[in-house]
Amino acid sequence: MKLLLIEDDPETAGHIAHALTGHGHAVESVDNGADGLARARACDHAALIVDRMLPGLDGLSLVRNLREEGLQTPVLMLTTMSGLDDRVEGLEGGADDYLVKPFAYSELLARVHAITRRSETRETTRLRLADLEMDLIRRTVLRAGKNIDLQPQEFRLLEFLLRNAGRVVTRTMLLENVWDLHFDPRTNIVETHLSRLRSKVDRGFDSELIHTLRGVGYVLRAD
Amino acid sequence: MCCVRIRFLHTEAFRLSAIYAAIFALSVILLGGLALVITERAFRDQVVQFSQADIAAIQNGYDVEGLGEAREVVQQSMAGPGVSDFFLLQKDGRLVAGNLPVMPPRTGVFSLDKGGHEILGVGKMLAPGVYAWSGSDLARALIARQEILQAMIWLFAVALLLAVTGGALVSRSFLRRSDAMARACRAIMDGDLKARIPMRGTQDELDRLAGTINEMLDRIVALMGNLHQVTNDIAHDLRTPVSQLRQGLERAQEGPQSEHAQALGAAIAKTDDILVLFAAMLRIAEIEGGKRRGAFVPVALGALLGRLYELFGPVAEAAGHSLAVDIRHDVEVRGDPALLTQLLSNLIENAILHTPSGTHITMSLAVLDSRPALTVADDGPGVPANEHEKLFQRLYRREASRTHPGHGLGLSIAQAIAELHGAQIGVIPGSPGLAIRVLFSAARTPSDS
Repeated sequence: MKLLLIEDDPETAGHIAHALTGHGHAVESVDNGADGLARARACDHAALIVDRMLPGLDGLSLVRNLREEGLQTPVLMLTTMSGLDDRVEGLEGGADDYLVKPFAYSELLARVHAITRRSETRETTRLRLADLEMDLIRRTVLRAGKNIDLQPQEFRLLEFLLRNAGRVVTRTMLLENVWDLHFDPRTNIVETHLSRLRSKVDRGFDSELIHTLRGVGYVLRAD
Repeated sequence: MCCVRIRFLHTEAFRLSAIYAAIFALSVILLGGLALVITERAFRDQVVQFSQADIAAIQNGYDVEGLGEAREVVQQSMAGPGVSDFFLLQKDGRLVAGNLPVMPPRTGVFSLDKGGHEILGVGKMLAPGVYAWSGSDLARALIARQEILQAMIWLFAVALLLAVTGGALVSRSFLRRSDAMARACRAIMDGDLKARIPMRGTQDELDRLAGTINEMLDRIVALMGNLHQVTNDIAHDLRTPVSQLRQGLERAQEGPQSEHAQALGAAIAKTDDILVLFAAMLRIAEIEGGKRRGAFVPVALGALLGRLYELFGPVAEAAGHSLAVDIRHDVEVRGDPALLTQLLSNLIENAILHTPSGTHITMSLAVLDSRPALTVADDGPGVPANEHEKLFQRLYRREASRTHPGHGLGLSIAQAIAELHGAQIGVIPGSPGLAIRVLFSAARTPSDS
């Protein structure tokens, strides 16, 4: 993917660019908001990674400008501001996701992947992967034609995994998107709920769909 | 002393008393002027009235018994304790009686000049050729006017003196108290955080102001103490993991290459711990800043407990605990849903992490004295009563729980969130295990709204 990184701190920018190129992405890097806005207008990127605090034009204004001009390039906003309001402000300003520094590179990669594909599945009423089918209107889940009974939270968890099928989702992404939790829990909430979901979705079937990537997150995919 | 004298001229109290003195002086002048005009007019009216009465008496004498009787009346009036001082009775230009020279007959009220004195009186023709005049010297009115004027000047001087002295006294006292305030503030600026403004207990406006300033100082000192505490805690609590991180990396550097991957993993995990601690401290600062109060919305506590039960039920079960919900009254409070979720999560996670498996954990919602009460209780081994207070201290970790994950800020965050919502949080004494209750103020049930 061709990505535009707008980050003023050269060391951070270097690390991020290195991590992204290491995973096969082409990264264009600029160190200020004005240049970032110009490059985003001039070139078609798969996604923008924008630091919130930038000299001159700050990240939030940059994204607002882009959205007002009708540019829908997905934006991942990076910030050191972890306040609850900062996040809401960032998302309302037009960013697709919001990541607080410092973060693991696996988290960054997972979120970049998630925002670049998000628009594709938004309006579906049915989600499907291999022999697993979810009907979003009737709130039913079938696997190999067999009905699977899920609790509301389990349904939401599986829906999120299905929407991101084939892509890595991290623990934090699940906490934020499935449970709307914006703090780091000390108990293994995600692991527990995933293992229960797994026992309903995968147990007794020929192949596993939910895979754990140690230290990174989870991925729903048919092998 | 000279400084004080000059300074009190610039005080608000002196300015006020000077304004009052000026208003008073002006009133005295106005009132005095008015009094002069009124008394003079009244005196003239009286002189005219008496003169007319005298003339009427002379006329009466003339009408009844002729000129002789009229002369008699004039002479009696001049000799007796009459009111008028000057009389004239003349016939065909000749003096008949009186103490005034003959003059051309002129009727009505008018003044004569006699040796510099103004004599006001009334002239009348008693019959053709017969003219009478009666009047009084106005010098008496002049004397009265001077006396009034003099009294007024005295009054004016005394009032002015009183106002200035009073103003000076009031300003001196005001100055003394404002100086005390300034001294206390300067002492605080110089680092004596215990200094306070002395209060008289009189409940006047200065006393109330002093009280408010003292309360403000208490709050500032508490906040600074908090800040100081946090700075110390961070320095203390971060030093340990950071130095461990450094030692681990140093050891890996000296050790064989084969152990590097493992050492790096350990270093990353240690760094994550440090970052979690940072995030928790920043969250407390954010909550204590109070900015989030602006975003309060009605939160149905029953529904919130339901969601948390769904979230933590399986987690508790997986850890060998049981989690139950007991909703006696569903109530709404105004609050921040995300923060209230974090508050309850912290309490539930504490119960799950710090009790042996087999412990029953209950979240309950009730109304006590019309105040919504959220309780998270367990039937585990509990915490000794002398440690209850300490549980809410920052970075306090019980010896027994040092082996569990955590940074000792969970209950501090819970407390900060409770305080933001105007709620009280504390351990319910005497309960089996540990029971922590959040008591909100002013209840509002969904049926009310």
